[in-house]
Amino acid sequence: MAKIVVLGAGIAGHVAASHLRRKLSKKHDVVVVSPNGNYQWIPSNIWVGIGRMKPKDILFPLAPLYAKKHIDYKQAKAVSFHPEGDQEEAKPYVLSEYVVGDDKGKREKVTYDYLINATGPKLNFEATEGLSPGKNKTHSVCTYTHAQEAWIELEGLIKEMKQGKKIKILIGTGHAKSTCQGAAFEYILNVEQELRRHKVRDMAEITWISNEYNLGDFGMDGMLMSYGSNIMKSNEMVEMIFEDRGISWILGAGVNKVEDGVAYYETLDGDHKEESYDFAMLIPSFSGHGFKAYGKAGEDITDKLFRGFMIVDADYTPKPYEEWSVQDWPETYQNPSYSNIFAPGIAFAPPHSISKPRKSKNGTDITPAPPRTGMPSGITAKLVADNIIEMIKHSNNELHHKGSMGNMGAACIASAGFGMTKGSGISITTYPIVPDYKKYPDTHGRKLGKTFGSIGLAGHWLKLALHYAFIYKAKMKPFWWLIPE
Amino acid sequence: MTRRISKYKRFMMMNPIVQFFKFIYLSIKVLIVVAGGHGGTRNA
Ligand SMILES: Cc1cc2nc3c(=O)[nH]c(=O)nc-3n(C[C@H](O)[C@H](O)[C@H](O)COP(=O)(O)OP(=O)(O)OC[C@H]3O[C@@H](n4cnc5c(N)ncnc54)[C@H](O)[C@@H]3O)c2cc1C
Repeated sequence: MAKIVVLGAGIAGHVAASHLRRKLSKKHDVVVVSPNGNYQWIPSNIWVGIGRMKPKDILFPLAPLYAKKHIDYKQAKAVSFHPEGDQEEAKPYVLSEYVVGDDKGKREKVTYDYLINATGPKLNFEATEGLSPGKNKTHSVCTYTHAQEAWIELEGLIKEMKQGKKIKILIGTGHAKSTCQGAAFEYILNVEQELRRHKVRDMAEITWISNEYNLGDFGMDGMLMSYGSNIMKSNEMVEMIFEDRGISWILGAGVNKVEDGVAYYETLDGDHKEESYDFAMLIPSFSGHGFKAYGKAGEDITDKLFRGFMIVDADYTPKPYEEWSVQDWPETYQNPSYSNIFAPGIAFAPPHSISKPRKSKNGTDITPAPPRTGMPSGITAKLVADNIIEMIKHSNNELHHKGSMGNMGAACIASAGFGMTKGSGISITTYPIVPDYKKYPDTHGRKLGKTFGSIGLAGHWLKLALHYAFIYKAKMKPFWWLIPE
Repeated sequence: MTRRISKYKRFMMMNPIVQFFKFIYLSIKVLIVVAGGHGGTRNA
C-alpha cells in the first residue's frame, strides 16, 4: 500500500490527484492538502474581472467531489517539509496547518510515500511597494476574489464615464520580473471591449505597461508564427491588435512602486518615470512560498529542496543566454535529492527565463519570468502521476514518462472580448514552448506549422468551449479523462 | 510599419458563418498540437 500526498488543488495538483485516483486501486491512498476549499478555473478569471462571469461560474467545492472519489482531502496549508521524517516520525512528512473549522490552526504531520508539490506560485505583491489588490487603485485578476473586486471598481468607473468623466486605465505587469503577460493581455482587450459595449470607449485612455522588451514577448522570447497565409512575428500581431483597439504601450518597464493612482517604473535606459491612472490591473511577480525543509535531526536542508520554487531535474548551472539550451529544462520534475518528491506546474524552479535577459543601465533585471501556463501544468502533473503509478506498480525507480517544455506544444487561447456574436479571441499555439534554436534555427526556435496565430470570433467560442470542457473534466464527470490536459 | 486589420479582414473575423468553420478548423489544429505528444530532450 502506498500513500501519495498532493499539495495544492490547482490545475497541476487536481490533475495529478484525479489521474492517480483513477489508475490506482483503492488500497493506495491519495491525499490532497490545499487551503482553498474550491477548485477554480483560473483562465476564466478574466471574464469575472469584466463582470461577464460570476465567481460561482468558474469554481466548485472540492470536498464533496473528493469524498465521492475516495480522495482524502485536508483543507490545510503545507508549512514545512521533512523528507527524512524526524526523531519521532520515521516516515517523511509535510507539516500542515488546517485553515478552517474546529481544527483551524491545528498542525498535523502528513506522512507520505510519494509527494507531489503542486503549490503553484505565491502572488508576491509585497515585492512591489504599494502594490496590493484593492489599494492605490490597483487590482489583480489572479484569483476570483481579486477579479471580482476589479470588476466592482471598473463598473463604478464605467458609471462615472457615462456621466462624462475621462479616465486612464493602466494594465500590464507590476514588477520588473513579473510573468503571466498573457493574462494581462487578455484583460486589457476585454476591458477595452467592455468599454465599447458600454459606449464609453472614447472616455478612456488605455495603456499597456510591461517588462517585455517587445510586444508579444509573453515571457517566451516572442514567436514567429504562421498567420493565415503570412508569416508574422508575435510583436507585429500584438502591435496590429493594439493599434486597432487604440491601446498605447510602454515596454521594458520595471514597475517598482505604486502610490494612489501612480505607478513608478524604471526603463531599460535607466530612466525613472511614472504613469498616472484611475484604474490599474498589474500582475505581481510570482515567487515560491518560502517553505523550509528539515532533515532527520532537525537541521535546515531547505537548499536541497528549494531555490525559491522547488528544485527538480533541471540544469541550474548559471550560464549566459547564448549557452542556454532546451536540455536545461526539466523532463520528470523529480527532486534530485529525494526521488519520491516531484513538483509539476508552476511549483518547479525553472533553470532560467525563456526571454532574453535584460538589465537596465542601473543594473536592474527587467525580464519577464518564464510562464508555465495551464496546459504544461496539466501535462507535467499527469506525467508525474504516471511515473509514480509505475514506481508503485513495478517497485522500481525508473521514470519512463517525460515532458520537457522544450519538447511540448502549448495552445493559448487569449480572450479578446466576451460575447457569442461580438466576442473575439486570439488563438496561438506554440511548439515547442521553450524555443529550440538548434533544431529550428531559421524560425526563431519553433516549428512554424505548429506555431500559428488566428484572430476572430471563433477564438472566443473556443475559449468558452474550453472553459466548459475543463470544468467538466475537473469535476471528474463521465469519461473526463478523455479530455486532454 | 504597423500592419492594420483591413475592413475585409474584420468582416471575416466576425462573420459567424466563416467563424463557425474556423472554429472547427482551430479545434482540430489545437488538438493536433496537444495530441502531438511530448517527451524529453536529453536523449533525443
Ligand atoms: C488571470 C490568469 C489567467 C490565466 N489564463 C490562462 C489561460 O488562458 N490559459 C492557460 O493555459 N493558462 C492561463 N493562466 C495560467 C494558469 O492559470 C496556470 O498555469 C495554472 O493555474 C498553474 O497551475 P498550478 O497548479 O501549478 O498552480 P495554481 O493553479 O496556482 O495552484 C496552486 C494550488 O496550490 C495551493 N496552495 C498554495 N499554497 C499552498 C500551501 N502552502 N499548501 C498547500 N497548497 C497550497 C493553492 O490553493 C492552489 O490550489 C492564467 C493565469 C492567470 C493568473
